[in-house]
Amino acid sequence: MDESALILDAQHGDLQAFNTLVLAYQDVLFNTALRILNDEDQAADAVQDAFLSAFRALNSYRGGSFRAWLLRTVTNACYDELRRKKRRPTTPLEPETADGEEVESPLWLADPHASPEESLDQAELEHAVQHCLENLPADFRAVVVLADIQGLDYSEVAVAVHKPLGTIKSRLARARSRLRACLQGYRELLPAAFRLEEESSL
Amino acid sequence: MTTPSRRDLEQLSAYLDGQLSQSSQARLELRIKSDPGLASALEELRQTRAFLRRTPHRRSPRNFTLTPGMAGIRPPVPRLIPVLSWASAVAMLFFIFTLGAGLIGQLFVGQTASMNAAAPMGSGAGPLAAAPMAPSNASSATMVPVVAAPAPLAPATAAPLGGGSSNPPPADQTVLPTPTVETSIMSVEQATPPAVSRFAQSPAAPKSLKRQVNYWLFIWPGMAVILGAASIAAWGLNKRAFQRKNPPG
Repeated sequence: MDESALILDAQHGDLQAFNTLVLAYQDVLFNTALRILNDEDQAADAVQDAFLSAFRALNSYRGGSFRAWLLRTVTNACYDELRRKKRRPTTPLEPETADGEEVESPLWLADPHASPEESLDQAELEHAVQHCLENLPADFRAVVVLADIQGLDYSEVAVAVHKPLGTIKSRLARARSRLRACLQGYRELLPAAFRLEEESSL
Repeated sequence: MTTPSRRDLEQLSAYLDGQLSQSSQARLELRIKSDPGLASALEELRQTRAFLRRTPHRRSPRNFTLTPGMAGIRPPVPRLIPVLSWASAVAMLFFIFTLGAGLIGQLFVGQTASMNAAAPMGSGAGPLAAAPMAPSNASSATMVPVVAAPAPLAPATAAPLGGGSSNPPPADQTVLPTPTVETSIMSVEQATPPAVSRFAQSPAAPKSLKRQVNYWLFIWPGMAVILGAASIAAWGLNKRAFQRKNPPG
């Protein structure tokens, strides 16, 4: 895929070229939105809005990381959604029991293609990460999702959230620090394989 | 062993991502070696980052490709519409044409009317002179050229001038009649009313004038109707185009 050529064609109004880019980046944008919003439907709406905004504002793209540029549109869409959410609170993502208590391991989050054990492990991990991310301020959440979950470098994160590099460093450090404290509460619940594997790989 | 400060945590986080300068990195490594608290914090940050990186990636629940409708791209407009989109220009041409045609028509009608009005007055010179002498020929004299008028006058005018003589005078004597002052005044008094009434009742000139006025009375509203229709069509198309460009909501 010649990304530059596709971007150029899309800038000239070629919708098919833009849709090729959409297919290439939709998973990245969806996962980012999902981690920031913690709601699949809202994440899907934010991604759709982001791609629409991106197509309309494509002429403002002046080179650089296209992924970071797209992630900026989806981050903005997520901030909008979070502001809307704040004004109109909705029911939580986690299913509740008849007593109104949150279900510990929501199996409906599991990947249907994985084995039952893997599904359970991944579901536990995802639930733990998502819960800890929820407790972060939106600005910190966006930075840590982009840097640690999506694997963007600092300069790309700076483009995506439209903040200087120093702010990114500071926010990322504080976000990691808070997440560390939160995830320590989940360590005993998670399979030991995760920790051992990580520790041995360091 | 010290608890790392916020500044230390920032340094450790940046060190983890390889974002420190060589000198800063060297200084921090020395501190980590000597301070187990910093080493422990670095390890925890590293584990946290690894933990986050293992977060499962989901596939998109659907494709987010844009349709032409979503992107605001319109399919090619049918052939008739571009023609109609020139409706405002066509309307302007019609307007100019109508205005020009109207002015020309007005001038033409005015000229014809003045010519028609002038014709009975000019030919009235014949009857003015000839009426008392040949009243029986007056009606036909209105449309007869002036030079022809003296011909029938000859016998009538010859009688009083000839002093009762039954012989007709020679041709060269009857060409120029010389009426007296009384007969001239009388002839003017008698000739004027019939001349005016003949102008009013003459069927030939008013007929042609009436025909032309009626013709332009049909063209003018016709053009106005076409102009109005073209303007409404242009307005409608513009409104539709605007609504397409700015859909409600």
